[in-house]
Amino acid sequence: MAVRILLVDDHPIVRQGLRTLLEGRSGWQVVGEASDGIEALDKVETLQPDVVVLDVTMPRMNGLEACRLIQRKQKTSGPEVLFVTQHDSPQMMREALEAGARGYVVKSNAARDLLEAVEAVSQHREFTALARSPLASC
Amino acid sequence: MKLRILLADDHELIRRGLSALLQKHEGWEICGEASDGRQAIEMAKQLKPDVVIVDIGMPHLNGLDTTRQLLQHDPHFKVIVLTITDSDQVIREALDAGARGFVLKSDAARDLVAAVEALQNKRMFFTPRVNDLVLAGFLEKGHAISRSEAPDLPTLTAREREVTQLLAEGKSSKEVAVLLNLSTKTVETHRSNIMRKLSLHSIRDLVVYAIKNNIIQIQMPPQTPRPTETTVA
Repeated sequence: MAVRILLVDDHPIVRQGLRTLLEGRSGWQVVGEASDGIEALDKVETLQPDVVVLDVTMPRMNGLEACRLIQRKQKTSGPEVLFVTQHDSPQMMREALEAGARGYVVKSNAARDLLEAVEAVSQHREFTALARSPLASC
Repeated sequence: MKLRILLADDHELIRRGLSALLQKHEGWEICGEASDGRQAIEMAKQLKPDVVIVDIGMPHLNGLDTTRQLLQHDPHFKVIVLTITDSDQVIREALDAGARGFVLKSDAARDLVAAVEALQNKRMFFTPRVNDLVLAGFLEKGHAISRSEAPDLPTLTAREREVTQLLAEGKSSKEVAVLLNLSTKTVETHRSNIMRKLSLHSIRDLVVYAIKNNIIQIQMPPQTPRPTETTVA
Protein backbone atom coordinates (compact mmCIF):
# COMPACT_ATOMS: atom_id res chain seq x y z
CA MET A 1 0.00 0.00 0.00
CA ALA A 2 1.30 3.46 -0.88
CA VAL A 3 2.70 5.76 1.80
CA ARG A 4 0.41 8.79 1.75
CA ILE A 5 2.24 12.08 2.33
CA LEU A 6 0.91 15.54 3.15
CA LEU A 7 3.24 18.51 2.48
CA VAL A 8 2.93 21.57 4.71
CA ASP A 9 4.96 24.73 4.05
CA ASP A 10 3.94 28.34 3.51
CA HIS A 11 6.22 28.71 0.46
CA PRO A 12 4.75 27.09 -2.65
CA ILE A 13 8.19 26.84 -4.20
CA VAL A 14 9.40 24.75 -1.25
CA ARG A 15 6.34 22.49 -1.55
CA GLN A 16 7.14 22.10 -5.23
CA GLY A 17 10.74 21.17 -4.38
CA LEU A 18 9.59 18.63 -1.79
CA ARG A 19 7.10 17.16 -4.24
CA THR A 20 9.79 16.81 -6.90
CA LEU A 21 12.03 14.96 -4.46
CA LEU A 22 9.30 12.63 -3.21
CA GLU A 23 7.38 11.82 -6.34
CA GLY A 24 10.23 9.93 -7.95
CA ARG A 25 9.89 7.24 -5.32
CA SER A 26 7.58 4.37 -6.20
CA GLY A 27 5.15 3.44 -3.46
CA TRP A 28 4.87 6.99 -2.15
CA GLN A 29 2.05 9.35 -2.96
CA VAL A 30 1.81 13.07 -2.20
CA VAL A 31 -1.89 13.28 -1.37
CA GLY A 32 -2.11 16.99 -0.62
CA GLU A 33 -0.51 20.27 0.36
CA ALA A 34 -1.20 22.87 3.03
CA SER A 35 0.28 26.31 3.56
CA ASP A 36 -0.08 26.68 7.34
CA GLY A 37 -0.83 24.73 10.50
CA ILE A 38 -4.58 25.29 10.47
CA GLU A 39 -4.93 24.09 6.90
CA ALA A 40 -2.70 21.14 7.80
CA LEU A 41 -5.04 20.07 10.60
CA ASP A 42 -8.00 20.13 8.19
CA LYS A 43 -6.14 18.11 5.60
CA VAL A 44 -4.94 15.55 8.13
CA GLU A 45 -8.62 14.97 9.00
CA THR A 46 -9.82 14.68 5.43
CA LEU A 47 -6.87 13.05 3.66
CA GLN A 48 -5.65 10.72 6.44
CA PRO A 49 -1.97 10.79 5.39
CA ASP A 50 0.61 8.39 6.81
CA VAL A 51 3.33 11.06 6.97
CA VAL A 52 3.04 14.83 7.40
CA VAL A 53 6.09 16.75 6.18
CA LEU A 54 5.85 19.92 8.24
CA ASP A 55 7.62 23.29 8.29
CA VAL A 56 8.14 25.05 11.64
CA THR A 57 7.70 28.74 10.81
CA MET A 58 4.38 29.40 9.14
CA PRO A 59 1.64 32.03 9.38
CA ARG A 60 -1.57 31.54 11.37
CA MET A 61 -0.36 28.41 13.16
CA ASN A 62 3.24 27.25 13.32
CA GLY A 63 4.37 23.69 12.81
CA LEU A 64 5.09 22.90 16.47
CA GLU A 65 1.57 23.81 17.49
CA ALA A 66 0.11 21.92 14.54
CA CYS A 67 2.19 18.87 15.46
CA ARG A 68 0.95 18.92 19.05
CA LEU A 69 -2.66 19.18 17.89
CA ILE A 70 -2.25 16.40 15.35
CA GLN A 71 -0.85 14.14 18.06
CA ARG A 72 -3.59 15.11 20.49
CA LYS A 73 -6.40 14.48 18.01
CA GLN A 74 -5.05 11.32 16.42
CA LYS A 75 -3.74 9.52 19.48
CA THR A 76 -3.57 5.95 18.21
CA SER A 77 -3.58 5.82 14.43
CA GLY A 78 -2.44 9.30 13.51
CA PRO A 79 0.20 10.21 10.95
CA GLU A 80 3.88 10.43 11.71
CA VAL A 81 5.24 13.98 11.58
CA LEU A 82 8.54 14.82 9.91
CA PHE A 83 9.78 18.39 10.29
CA VAL A 84 11.64 19.91 7.36
CA THR A 85 12.80 23.30 8.57
CA GLN A 86 15.43 25.99 8.18
CA HIS A 87 16.15 25.85 11.93
CA ASP A 88 19.47 24.06 12.25
CA SER A 89 19.22 24.06 16.01
CA PRO A 90 19.41 21.25 18.59
CA GLN A 91 16.99 23.18 20.78
CA MET A 92 14.40 23.38 18.04
CA MET A 93 14.91 19.73 17.19
CA ARG A 94 14.31 18.80 20.82
CA GLU A 95 11.10 20.82 20.87
CA ALA A 96 9.92 19.19 17.68
CA LEU A 97 10.45 15.73 19.12
CA GLU A 98 8.74 16.77 22.34
CA ALA A 99 5.81 17.98 20.28
CA GLY A 100 5.47 14.46 18.96
CA ALA A 101 7.43 14.51 15.73
CA ARG A 102 9.18 11.34 14.61
CA GLY A 103 11.70 13.05 12.37
CA TYR A 104 13.64 16.30 11.88
CA VAL A 105 15.51 17.38 8.77
CA VAL A 106 17.10 20.73 7.93
CA LYS A 107 16.03 22.35 4.66
CA SER A 108 19.55 22.97 3.48
CA ASN A 109 20.10 19.21 3.55
CA ALA A 110 16.63 18.10 2.51
CA ALA A 111 17.82 16.84 -0.85
CA ARG A 112 20.25 14.55 0.98
CA ASP A 113 18.13 13.50 3.95
CA LEU A 114 14.47 13.67 2.96
CA LEU A 115 13.98 10.29 1.31
CA GLU A 116 15.74 8.42 4.08
CA ALA A 117 13.78 10.37 6.67
CA VAL A 118 10.39 9.67 5.09
CA GLU A 119 11.35 6.01 4.74
CA ALA A 120 12.24 5.86 8.45
CA VAL A 121 9.27 7.73 9.89
CA SER A 122 6.79 5.88 7.65
CA GLN A 123 8.06 2.75 9.42
CA HIS A 124 7.69 4.49 12.80
CA ARG A 125 11.44 4.88 13.26
CA GLU A 126 13.00 8.12 14.42
CA PHE A 127 15.19 10.11 12.03
CA THR A 128 16.96 13.31 13.02
CA ALA A 129 19.70 15.17 11.20
CA LEU A 130 21.00 18.67 11.69
CA ALA A 131 23.01 20.26 8.90
CA ARG A 132 25.97 20.72 11.22
CA SER A 133 26.16 16.98 11.92
CA PRO A 134 27.97 15.06 9.21
CA LEU A 135 25.86 11.97 9.59
CA ALA A 136 22.19 11.48 10.23
CA SER A 137 21.11 9.48 13.20
CA CYS A 138 18.41 6.98 12.47
CA MET B 1 15.49 28.53 -29.84
CA LYS B 2 14.91 27.84 -26.17
CA LEU B 3 15.37 30.48 -23.49
CA ARG B 4 18.24 29.27 -21.30
CA ILE B 5 18.05 29.92 -17.57
CA LEU B 6 20.76 29.55 -14.93
CA LEU B 7 19.59 29.02 -11.32
CA ALA B 8 21.74 29.98 -8.33
CA ASP B 9 20.54 29.09 -4.84
CA ASP B 10 22.39 27.32 -2.06
CA HIS B 11 19.39 25.11 -1.23
CA GLU B 12 18.89 22.21 -3.58
CA LEU B 13 15.30 21.97 -2.36
CA ILE B 14 14.62 25.48 -3.66
CA ARG B 15 16.46 24.83 -6.92
CA ARG B 16 14.31 21.73 -7.43
CA GLY B 17 11.17 23.77 -6.88
CA LEU B 18 12.28 26.59 -9.17
CA SER B 19 13.42 24.19 -11.83
CA ALA B 20 10.12 22.27 -11.79
CA LEU B 21 8.20 25.55 -11.99
CA LEU B 22 10.19 27.01 -14.89
CA GLN B 23 10.52 23.85 -16.94
CA LYS B 24 6.74 23.61 -17.19
CA HIS B 25 6.99 26.64 -19.45
CA GLU B 26 7.34 25.61 -23.07
CA GLY B 27 10.42 27.03 -24.71
CA TRP B 28 12.44 27.44 -21.51
CA GLU B 29 15.21 25.23 -20.21
CA ILE B 30 17.40 25.20 -17.13
CA CYS B 31 20.91 25.21 -18.57
CA GLY B 32 22.67 25.02 -15.20
CA GLU B 33 22.35 25.14 -11.42
CA ALA B 34 24.83 26.76 -9.05
CA SER B 35 24.94 26.47 -5.27
CA ASP B 36 26.85 29.69 -4.55
CA GLY B 37 27.65 32.99 -6.19
CA ARG B 38 31.17 32.10 -7.25
CA GLN B 39 29.97 28.98 -9.02
CA ALA B 40 27.15 30.99 -10.62
CA ILE B 41 29.64 33.42 -12.14
CA GLU B 42 31.81 30.63 -13.53
CA MET B 43 28.80 28.84 -14.98
CA ALA B 44 27.35 32.03 -16.45
CA LYS B 45 30.63 32.83 -18.21
CA GLN B 46 30.72 29.33 -19.61
CA LEU B 47 27.05 28.73 -20.43
CA LYS B 48 26.03 32.28 -21.42
CA PRO B 49 22.42 31.92 -20.22
CA ASP B 50 19.68 34.29 -21.34
CA VAL B 51 18.50 34.79 -17.75
CA VAL B 52 20.27 34.27 -14.42
CA ILE B 53 18.18 33.83 -11.28
CA VAL B 54 20.19 34.46 -8.10
CA ASP B 55 19.27 34.07 -4.46
CA ILE B 56 20.50 36.97 -2.33
CA GLY B 57 21.66 34.94 0.65
CA MET B 58 24.26 32.57 -0.74
CA PRO B 59 27.51 31.48 0.91
CA HIS B 60 30.97 32.52 -0.35
CA LEU B 61 29.54 35.25 -2.58
CA ASN B 62 26.11 36.72 -1.96
CA GLY B 63 23.56 37.34 -4.69
CA LEU B 64 24.06 41.10 -4.83
CA ASP B 65 27.81 40.84 -5.36
CA THR B 66 27.20 38.00 -7.80
CA THR B 67 24.92 40.32 -9.78
CA ARG B 68 27.51 43.12 -9.68
CA GLN B 69 30.31 40.86 -10.88
CA LEU B 70 28.18 39.25 -13.59
CA LEU B 71 27.24 42.63 -15.04
CA GLN B 72 30.75 43.90 -14.72
CA HIS B 73 31.89 40.94 -16.81
CA ASP B 74 29.09 41.33 -19.36
CA PRO B 75 26.43 44.07 -19.07
CA HIS B 76 24.11 42.00 -21.26
CA PHE B 77 23.42 39.46 -18.52
CA LYS B 78 19.80 39.65 -17.36
CA VAL B 79 19.59 38.95 -13.66
CA ILE B 80 16.55 38.31 -11.48
CA VAL B 81 17.22 38.57 -7.75
CA LEU B 82 15.32 36.25 -5.43
CA THR B 83 14.99 37.48 -1.88
CA ILE B 84 13.23 36.73 1.36
CA THR B 85 12.78 40.41 2.15
CA ASP B 86 11.80 43.50 0.19
CA SER B 87 13.19 46.01 2.64
CA ASP B 88 14.09 49.42 1.17
CA GLN B 89 17.77 48.73 1.63
CA VAL B 90 17.73 45.39 -0.18
CA ILE B 91 15.65 46.84 -3.02
CA ARG B 92 18.02 49.76 -3.40
CA GLU B 93 21.06 47.50 -3.46
CA ALA B 94 19.48 45.12 -5.97
CA LEU B 95 18.65 48.01 -8.29
CA ASP B 96 22.10 49.51 -7.83
CA ALA B 97 23.68 46.14 -8.58
CA GLY B 98 21.83 46.11 -11.91
CA ALA B 99 19.14 43.47 -11.35
CA ARG B 100 16.36 43.65 -13.91
CA GLY B 101 13.95 41.59 -11.87
CA PHE B 102 13.20 41.35 -8.17
CA VAL B 103 11.02 38.53 -6.83
CA LEU B 104 10.20 37.55 -3.26
CA LYS B 105 10.83 33.88 -2.57
CA SER B 106 7.46 33.60 -0.89
CA ASP B 107 5.82 34.77 -4.15
CA ALA B 108 8.14 32.96 -6.54
CA ALA B 109 5.53 30.39 -7.57
CA ARG B 110 3.29 33.28 -8.65
CA ASP B 111 5.75 35.88 -9.90
CA LEU B 112 8.81 34.14 -11.26
CA VAL B 113 7.32 33.02 -14.57
CA ALA B 114 6.03 36.56 -15.14
CA ALA B 115 9.46 37.94 -14.27
CA VAL B 116 11.28 35.70 -16.74
CA GLU B 117 8.68 36.53 -19.41
CA ALA B 118 9.25 40.23 -18.78
CA LEU B 119 13.01 39.90 -19.20
CA GLN B 120 12.48 37.75 -22.28
CA ASN B 121 10.51 40.67 -23.73
CA LYS B 122 13.24 43.15 -22.80
CA ARG B 123 11.27 44.57 -19.91
CA MET B 124 11.95 44.63 -16.19
CA PHE B 125 9.96 42.97 -13.42
CA PHE B 126 9.60 44.20 -9.88
CA THR B 127 7.21 43.49 -7.05
CA PRO B 128 4.50 46.10 -6.46
CA ARG B 129 6.47 47.37 -3.47
CA VAL B 130 9.56 48.01 -5.60
CA ASN B 131 7.44 49.74 -8.20
CA ASP B 132 5.96 51.97 -5.47
CA LEU B 133 9.41 52.88 -4.19
CA VAL B 134 10.77 53.63 -7.64
CA LEU B 135 7.73 55.75 -8.43
CA ALA B 136 8.02 57.58 -5.11
CA GLY B 137 11.67 58.25 -5.85
CA PHE B 138 10.81 59.52 -9.32
CA LEU B 139 8.22 61.88 -7.86
CA GLU B 140 10.87 63.17 -5.49
CA LYS B 141 12.81 64.18 -8.59
CA GLY B 142 15.63 61.95 -9.35
CA HIS B 143 16.33 60.11 -6.15
CA ALA B 144 15.28 56.63 -7.11
CA ILE B 145 15.04 55.57 -3.50
CA SER B 146 15.78 57.47 -0.36
CA ARG B 147 19.32 56.85 0.75
CA SER B 148 18.89 58.42 4.14
CA GLU B 149 19.26 55.05 5.85
CA ALA B 150 21.48 53.52 3.24
CA PRO B 151 24.62 51.81 4.44
CA ASP B 152 28.02 53.32 3.80
CA LEU B 153 29.41 50.89 1.23
CA PRO B 154 31.25 52.74 -1.51
CA THR B 155 34.74 52.55 -0.12
CA LEU B 156 35.10 48.80 -0.53
CA THR B 157 36.27 47.29 -3.78
CA ALA B 158 34.57 44.17 -5.19
CA ARG B 159 37.49 42.05 -3.95
CA GLU B 160 37.30 43.61 -0.50
CA ARG B 161 33.59 42.84 -0.33
CA GLU B 162 34.33 39.22 -1.22
CA VAL B 163 36.97 39.04 1.51
CA THR B 164 34.58 40.72 3.95
CA GLN B 165 31.89 38.11 3.29
CA LEU B 166 34.26 35.18 3.69
CA LEU B 167 35.81 36.54 6.90
CA ALA B 168 32.36 37.30 8.29
CA GLU B 169 31.32 33.72 7.49
CA GLY B 170 34.04 32.65 9.90
CA LYS B 171 36.79 31.67 7.49
CA SER B 172 40.45 32.23 8.37
CA SER B 173 42.75 34.32 6.17
CA LYS B 174 44.32 31.08 4.96
CA GLU B 175 40.94 29.62 4.00
CA VAL B 176 39.99 32.86 2.22
CA ALA B 177 43.29 32.74 0.35
CA VAL B 178 42.59 29.21 -0.89
CA LEU B 179 39.03 30.09 -1.96
CA LEU B 180 40.06 33.22 -3.83
CA ASN B 181 43.29 31.79 -5.17
CA LEU B 182 45.36 34.48 -3.47
CA SER B 183 48.31 34.36 -1.11
CA THR B 184 47.60 34.54 2.61
CA LYS B 185 49.65 37.72 2.72
CA THR B 186 47.43 39.37 0.10
CA VAL B 187 44.34 38.41 2.07
CA GLU B 188 45.88 39.85 5.22
CA THR B 189 46.52 43.10 3.34
CA HIS B 190 42.90 43.19 2.14
CA ARG B 191 41.79 42.50 5.69
CA SER B 192 43.85 45.39 7.09
CA ASN B 193 42.56 47.74 4.38
CA ILE B 194 38.96 46.73 5.06
CA MET B 195 39.32 47.29 8.80
CA ARG B 196 41.01 50.64 8.25
CA LYS B 197 38.53 51.90 5.63
CA LEU B 198 35.54 50.94 7.74
CA SER B 199 37.11 51.95 11.06
CA LEU B 200 36.51 48.48 12.48
CA HIS B 201 38.59 46.99 15.26
CA SER B 202 37.68 43.32 15.44
CA ILE B 203 36.19 40.45 13.48
CA ARG B 204 33.11 40.86 15.61
CA ASP B 205 32.74 44.42 14.26
CA LEU B 206 33.25 43.07 10.76
CA VAL B 207 30.48 40.48 11.21
CA VAL B 208 28.10 43.17 12.45
CA TYR B 209 29.00 45.36 9.46
CA ALA B 210 28.44 42.44 7.04
CA ILE B 211 25.02 41.68 8.51
CA LYS B 212 23.92 45.32 8.54
CA ASN B 213 24.95 45.75 4.91
CA ASN B 214 23.40 42.54 3.57
CA ILE B 215 26.77 41.03 2.76
CA ILE B 216 25.77 38.01 4.82
CA GLN B 217 22.38 37.00 6.10
CA ILE B 218 21.79 35.29 9.37
CA GLN B 219 19.06 32.97 10.47
CA MET B 220 17.18 34.51 13.38
CA PRO B 221 17.06 32.37 16.51
CA PRO B 222 13.80 30.45 16.51
CA GLN B 223 11.07 32.01 18.58
CA THR B 224 9.75 29.08 20.48
CA PRO B 225 6.06 29.33 21.15
CA ARG B 226 4.61 28.15 24.42
CA PRO B 227 2.51 25.00 24.14
CA THR B 228 -0.73 26.98 24.14
CA GLU B 229 0.38 29.76 21.83
CA THR B 230 -0.53 30.17 18.21
CA THR B 231 2.04 32.11 16.22
CA VAL B 232 0.62 34.62 13.81
CA ALA B 233 3.08 35.94 11.27
